Parts: sequence; C-alpha cells; structure tokens
Amino acid sequence: MERDKRFWRIVLLTPPLLVFSVLIVWPLLSSFYYSFTNWNGFSSNYQFVGLGNFQKIWTDRLFFQATINTIIWMVSALLLPTLLGLVLALLLDSKVRGGKFFKTIFYLPICLSAIVVGQIWIWIYQPNWGLLNTFIEEITGDRFRYAWLAKPDSALFSVIIAWSWQQTGLSMVIYLAGLTAIPSEILESSVSEGATTWQRIWYIVIPLLVPSTVVVIALSVINSLKGFDILYIMTGGGPFNSSDTLAMHMYNESFKKYLIGYGSSISVVLFLIALIIIGIYFRQLRKFDQIYG
Amino acid sequence: MKYINRRTLLGTLFALPFICLTTPALAQSEVTISHYFTGELGLKAFGEQMEKFEAATSYKMKNSPVGHEDFKTDILVRASGSSLPDVFSYWAGARVQFIADSDSLRPIDQMWNEAGLDKIVAKTVADSATMYNGKRFLVPFNYHYSGMFYNTKVMADAGITKMPTDWNGFLALCKELQSKGITPIALGSKNRWPAQFWFDYLLLRSAGPDYRTQLMAGKASYDDPQVKLAMGMWKALVDAGYFVENANANTWTDASDQVARGDAAMTLMGTWITGYWNGLGLVPGADYDFFPFPSIMAGVPSASVGPVDGLVIGANTTNPRGAEEFLKFMVSDTGVQAAWSKAQGALSANVNVDASNYNSVMLKAFETVKNSDAFAFNYDLATPPPVAEVGLSMFARFMDDPSGVDEIMKQTAQDVAGAFKE
Repeated sequence: MERDKRFWRIVLLTPPLLVFSVLIVWPLLSSFYYSFTNWNGFSSNYQFVGLGNFQKIWTDRLFFQATINTIIWMVSALLLPTLLGLVLALLLDSKVRGGKFFKTIFYLPICLSAIVVGQIWIWIYQPNWGLLNTFIEEITGDRFRYAWLAKPDSALFSVIIAWSWQQTGLSMVIYLAGLTAIPSEILESSVSEGATTWQRIWYIVIPLLVPSTVVVIALSVINSLKGFDILYIMTGGGPFNSSDTLAMHMYNESFKKYLIGYGSSISVVLFLIALIIIGIYFRQLRKFDQIYG
Repeated sequence: MKYINRRTLLGTLFALPFICLTTPALAQSEVTISHYFTGELGLKAFGEQMEKFEAATSYKMKNSPVGHEDFKTDILVRASGSSLPDVFSYWAGARVQFIADSDSLRPIDQMWNEAGLDKIVAKTVADSATMYNGKRFLVPFNYHYSGMFYNTKVMADAGITKMPTDWNGFLALCKELQSKGITPIALGSKNRWPAQFWFDYLLLRSAGPDYRTQLMAGKASYDDPQVKLAMGMWKALVDAGYFVENANANTWTDASDQVARGDAAMTLMGTWITGYWNGLGLVPGADYDFFPFPSIMAGVPSASVGPVDGLVIGANTTNPRGAEEFLKFMVSDTGVQAAWSKAQGALSANVNVDASNYNSVMLKAFETVKNSDAFAFNYDLATPPPVAEVGLSMFARFMDDPSGVDEIMKQTAQDVAGAFKE
C-alpha cells in the first residue's frame, strides 16, 4: 500500500516538476549563462565575454533611463491604486445611494485584459479626437492637440494613469473586505466618545486596515513588476525610449537589437533587484507578524 | 469503476516518445508557414494563393500568420529556439543577412537553378534581394516602391496641375498648399518606420546611393556633412510647418486616412498604401496618384526605395522538398503573382506577369522602378537591425523636436558606432 502511494506521488508530481523545470528553472539558468556571452539569439558562433555585458550596463544611458522609469513606475503603480482604492472603499463603505452600482463600475476595469485597457486609453489620449483633449477643449474653449503618448514628458505618466485606473478596483475590493471586518462596536463607541469622522478614519479605521494594506501592497508590487504588457501596448517604451522600463529595455535589447547576451545581463540585474525587493518585503512581513501575531 | 493499472500507465509513457518520433514522418505532406500578411486584404489573399498551391500539389499548408510588427520579434524568438517553420516570409536585405549569417536559413541555389528562376524573377530584385554570403536564400514574392502618394482632388482644388520633379518645385508646392490652408504632408511615425523614407530619399537624392551604402554599412558617420545636409533639408520642411501636427502619435494608416479625407495633401509611403486605399473604396488615378520623390542634386542617380517581401526556408525544416515546391510555385505561377500583387498593392517579382494586371497607379510605379538607376532597400532593411533600432528612434526623436538636430545626430553617431561594434 505504502509502495503504491509512493509510486503515485512520483507519477503525479513528475509532470508539474518537469513543466516547472523546463519553463522556469531552465530559462533562468540559461539567462545567467547567456549573460556572460555575446550571443545574438540564434548563431552557434558566440564568445564568452566575461563580465563585459555587466560593464556595458554602467555606460548604457538607456539602462539608467529605464532604471529611473522603473522606479517611477513601481512607486506610482504602488501608491496611486492603493490610495485611490482606500478612498473609494471608505466612500462606498458608508451607505451611499447606488453603492453596489459604483462598486461594480469601479471593479470592472480589473476584469479587462491589459490589451483592452491599453486600447481604451490610447483612444482617450488620441490627440485629435480623443476624450481627454476634447474635454480640455470644452473646458478651456481653446484648440488643444497634445499628444499624451507621443511626447517624452508625458508618455510614462499617461500609462501610469491608465494602469492605476485598472488596478484601483482591486485595492478597493480588498479594502472593502477589510472594512466589513472592523467590529461595528468599536466605531459606535468612538462616535459616542465624540470622535470626528476624520479622527475615526485616521486613528481607528486605517490602523485596523493594516492587514488589508499588506495584501494590497503585495499584490501591487507583483502586478507592477508584471506591468510590461500595458506599456508595450500603449507606448512600446517610446517615444524614443522615454517610457522604457527595465523589462522593456531588456526586451528591446534582446529581441529588437538581437543582443540576447546583453539582454540576459539586464534580466539578471532585474532578477537581483526583484530579489532585493522581495527580501525587504518578507523582512517587513516578519516584523508585521510579530506585531499583529 | 475501471482503474488504470501501473503496467498500462508505464506502457503509455514508454509509447509516447515513439508516437512523437513517428509523427514527423507522417507529416511529410505538410508544410508549416508563418507570415506577416495579416491585414484584412493580405490575409485573405495569401490564404487564397496557398489554396491554389494545395490544389496543384499533394501538400497541405499549416498556416500561422503573425501581425506585421510582432512578426519582427516572433520569428527571431522562434529562430533562437530552433523552431522556425518550414517556410516564412521575410524582408530582403539586412534582416535576411542577419539570420543567414547565423546559419538559420536553408540555401535554395539548387532549386533556383532547376526551376530557372533567373528567367522568372525581375533582375533588379534578384540582384539585390536573393543572394547572401554567396548563396541564394530568398525567393522574392513581391516588391514595393515608395513614392509621394497624394489626394488628386485636394491638389486639383488647390489649383495644382503639375507635380514637382525637383526640390525647388517641391518646396513651392508645399508653400502653395499651405497658403491654401492645406497641410502638405501627412506622416504617421508612431511605429517609427514610416519616417525612414524621408531620411532615405533626402540622403539618396543629395549624397547618392554609394554614400548611403557606406553609411548603412558603418563605413561613414552620421556626423558627416552629407547626413547633416539631408537632415537640414528635413528640418526646414518641419520648421516650415509642412508636416502634420503630432506625427509620432499616428500610425501609417492614420496618415493615409488624413490624405484620403483631404486633411493633408500627400504622404511619402510604399505602394501598399494603394491596397489600403483600394480597400476603402478609393479609385486609383481618380482619387489618388503619386509622383516620384523629387531630385535634389544634379547628377545624382535616381534611386527607388522600397522593401522586397520574400519567402525563405528555415535551416532545420523537416520538409525541405515541400518547402521548396511552395517557394517555386508562389513565384513562378503568374496567376498567383498577379492575384497577389492586385490584392496587396504590390509589384510582382515575376517578370512574366502581364503589366495590364496593374492599375494605372501601380503601372506608373512599375515604370518608375524600371527606369530608376538603382533600387535601394529602405533604411531598416538596409542596415543591421541593432543600427536600424538606433536610427528609427532618431527619426522619431527628430520629428518630436527638430530644433535639437545637432545634438540628436551627435548622439546617433555615437550610438550607431557602438551598435556596429556589437
């Protein structure tokens, strides 16, 4: 009987382990390997360049631009949906008319794929007939033809707004769930003690929402790291690399310039950055567990 | 209830590799293909030509089309994984050179000679597009020509009856259109490549094809006076307000729509625009026409610019015979070539295709190429891909803010030099 169990365990675990090894472990190890080569992606003739690719990173101005963009992207993609989600959850948690309707409306974008969201916002940002410029024209009465996605100053921020529009619904739902878990007695007693609405939110609700915030932040970080698709759809890293993130830069170097070796070295750096972020996050999580048990 | 016993399970697992190994043998009659003809007209027309091949032979085509822009990456990802299809479409020039250098393509010299393709394929195209490293790799499927396509009604309404042949005439035309409240030139450089034709022609018409070849091969610098002169002429056009606003926000179809609607008078684009416009119901000759890019310097050869779409065979094809049959059929069958060029708005690579198959505009394009001193691949097909990436970004950056042209060119010269070293 025990032998049979062991047999079935091996049989059932082998396929997922194989898939995991082929799709995750092998590409990861390959990336490390190729980061020390000048491989162009398909030539059998390539050389080991040692740390050459990593040295090149330090002189690559596009890498530094992409790093700054990645920081802006991650911080904005973390803060905006979290704060907006919290505000919306607080507003909708009070018994407003049409609350269910608004919850559905605000949650809806998260159900859409990044391609759909990207396309919707491309139309909104269209310089000649897009919703945003038309709205500004209506307000100001002047002709307004700003190309939001085609200008280097605004391209990245325009995508961040589109991204936040999609992601806010997720934070809102998590915060709404957190709000329903707060015992009503605490809030009622604070009212009888004479606390103002603002004091209730600041001293009672927000501290009690810390567990929800941890979940929201974790999801936001994971989602922002995955935020390649919407950038690819809306700007492709352009105009002229102004909205390149590290992931986009790695993609461009690898698959547009065919410098797989160099692209791999960027992916290794990106991997190390992700590792550091995850390390910090787990450390904070341990501290949080010690406090909240 | 029946359970799978261990013996059956292990037996199945052992049988699987055998089944996998024998499948390719069974699939010998199948030819896998990937291509970038995914526009509404192109996809349908390409499918129809494949059906003709299937009807004429015992082979079955397994088709996997990929969108034009995505194809550029997709096919190389497949090449890097040694999983190229038997046949795929590709742009002749530096792109084919790049993968031929990496031994990812199968030479077709024997098939070319056996089928007598020298007598079938247009010489202009065959000379420049098919040979790489001394071997033949590509069968041209069609080619395009880039010219100044314009809205005939807009021009007529502006009182313009004669199209310019030299630079001064062109500047006068732009000025005249602008004075009548019409934006002279539409450009949709969102995907960067449509801007390249301006650089191509300005450089070819001022510095000549030989200098351009040197620049494309890294033997001349983007800091050279020849390049500065070409960029200076381009800047003068932008500064004069002859281009539409926000070119970087539009795609080439947006720019084509602007011309079709009459919001702009003309656009520098390839003959595929005729396929697009015909699909919108515009009549060649009546609603639109073209004129060749004007001459700039006297004595400089008149080069035509455009891409050649070709078909190539992956080095690891499991069905070389089927793949070669397909290539041979697609270029030698005049019915296929005529139908394809009509649907796609392309010039046929096959010299035996009756010119009466072309509409008046395409016929004019055909004659223009025939009478040109040289045929040059457009920028991103004429220079290695890492360099093309630098250049294409440079064009978009220039269109955004031409005032910084000196700084842009300085940076480009540095980046291109670095890209050539890769």
